[in-house]
Amino acid sequence: MIPTRFEYLAPRSVAGLVAALDEESRLLAGGTWVVPEMGRAESRPRRVVDLRRAGLARISVERSRLCLGAMCTYSDLLASEDVARYAPLLRTMATGVTGGAALRNQATIGGSVAAARPQSDVPAAFVALRAVAVVSGPAGTHRVPVAELFLGAGRTTLAADEVITGFEMPSSRTSTHGYVKLKRGGSSWPIATAATLLRLDDAGRCEDACLVLGGVEEVPLTVDLTAILGRPPGDEELDAAVTQATAALSAPWTDVLAPGDYRATVTAPVARRALTMAWANTGE
Amino acid sequence: MDDDLTVLELTVNGNRRTATVDRRELLVEALRTRFGITGPKIGCLTGDCGACTVRLDGLITKSCLHIAVAEDRAEIETLESMSVGGLTGLQESFWDNNAFQCGYCLSGMLFSAAELLERDPKPNEDEIRQAISGNLCRCTGYDAIVTAIKRYADRGSATVEDVAQ
Repeated sequence: MIPTRFEYLAPRSVAGLVAALDEESRLLAGGTWVVPEMGRAESRPRRVVDLRRAGLARISVERSRLCLGAMCTYSDLLASEDVARYAPLLRTMATGVTGGAALRNQATIGGSVAAARPQSDVPAAFVALRAVAVVSGPAGTHRVPVAELFLGAGRTTLAADEVITGFEMPSSRTSTHGYVKLKRGGSSWPIATAATLLRLDDAGRCEDACLVLGGVEEVPLTVDLTAILGRPPGDEELDAAVTQATAALSAPWTDVLAPGDYRATVTAPVARRALTMAWANTGE
Repeated sequence: MDDDLTVLELTVNGNRRTATVDRRELLVEALRTRFGITGPKIGCLTGDCGACTVRLDGLITKSCLHIAVAEDRAEIETLESMSVGGLTGLQESFWDNNAFQCGYCLSGMLFSAAELLERDPKPNEDEIRQAISGNLCRCTGYDAIVTAIKRYADRGSATVEDVAQ
């Protein structure tokens, strides 16, 4: 039993959510992180504000942007043809989420971004996809690039009375993708992830390329790939991109899964595997 | 009534029931202590082990990760729902292949396997291992569980006798 007393609310609108939020409340999305944390009394909110009844699990495509409600689960992503078509990287990511079908049915993308855990899959993948968070608060609704939300491990720029209601991202259907994560065993959290997107022009040269690493620092690490733009993706470009990845790492993350020097060591191979996957798929 | 107590209505294994619960209780705790349904076990309370797995409104989930009152009026199926009128073929296959000892993991293993087989009646070994990956078993070493699911899938609607041969 959760040791501390709390009030439970499940407002039926975004306005209702915002009105219920204050310094002593905690948002509840899928619950896979918040509920056990409350059980251990590491989080002791006076009020739990559940997003489930606010209608935030829609998936749609608007002007070739993929729009995902914050309460979409990994299972929702896997079941969506729009996700498969417009952001296939997300499908690959969701397939490999630790915890089996039970977790995929419950854990949400909004919860994962808001929790800002370094070793979660979603933050770095969303940064790679150039996702923008739709944030509602007392002053109204505004949009923030997901890359700008993270301040550190478990810390975001969101105020106590703000809520992520969804995400929007440009179509990446003309890009190939690579997604790789390193973990110790089937039930382990990821130690390091790499998400990459690659788009070639008609002449077969890199027109757009991105690589974002998760788990290796407190917040998703975006690697500068401008050096390979305008060039065809060959071995030399692959090496250059991997070199950029290791050079970008400045403060490797340490937790119970792995010390920072381990993460620093695995950064290059994890990046290389993801890039190789995206490179290989350009032939399709 | 105590401030922390409230009435929770659930449809559990087809029966609509109500019970007074503490609003701080987890779903698995309410099921076990207030509704007397002990198929779902309390294991890790962190979502790792799968011992508390139930179907909630049709989807398998770990009931230790839910606040009970949040699930008011939900439909819950527990391990007990599988064996009304005898064991299912999948359960028989677990029995025949020594796929459990203490039984703690069975809610997770059986619901995960059933969910997989609904999606894909002929999974390969990798797919089976993926499907049960959110569940811990400390008795079997997993191989017997994989074998039980594989043999059941390969036989389709095999009888006990078929699987045992």
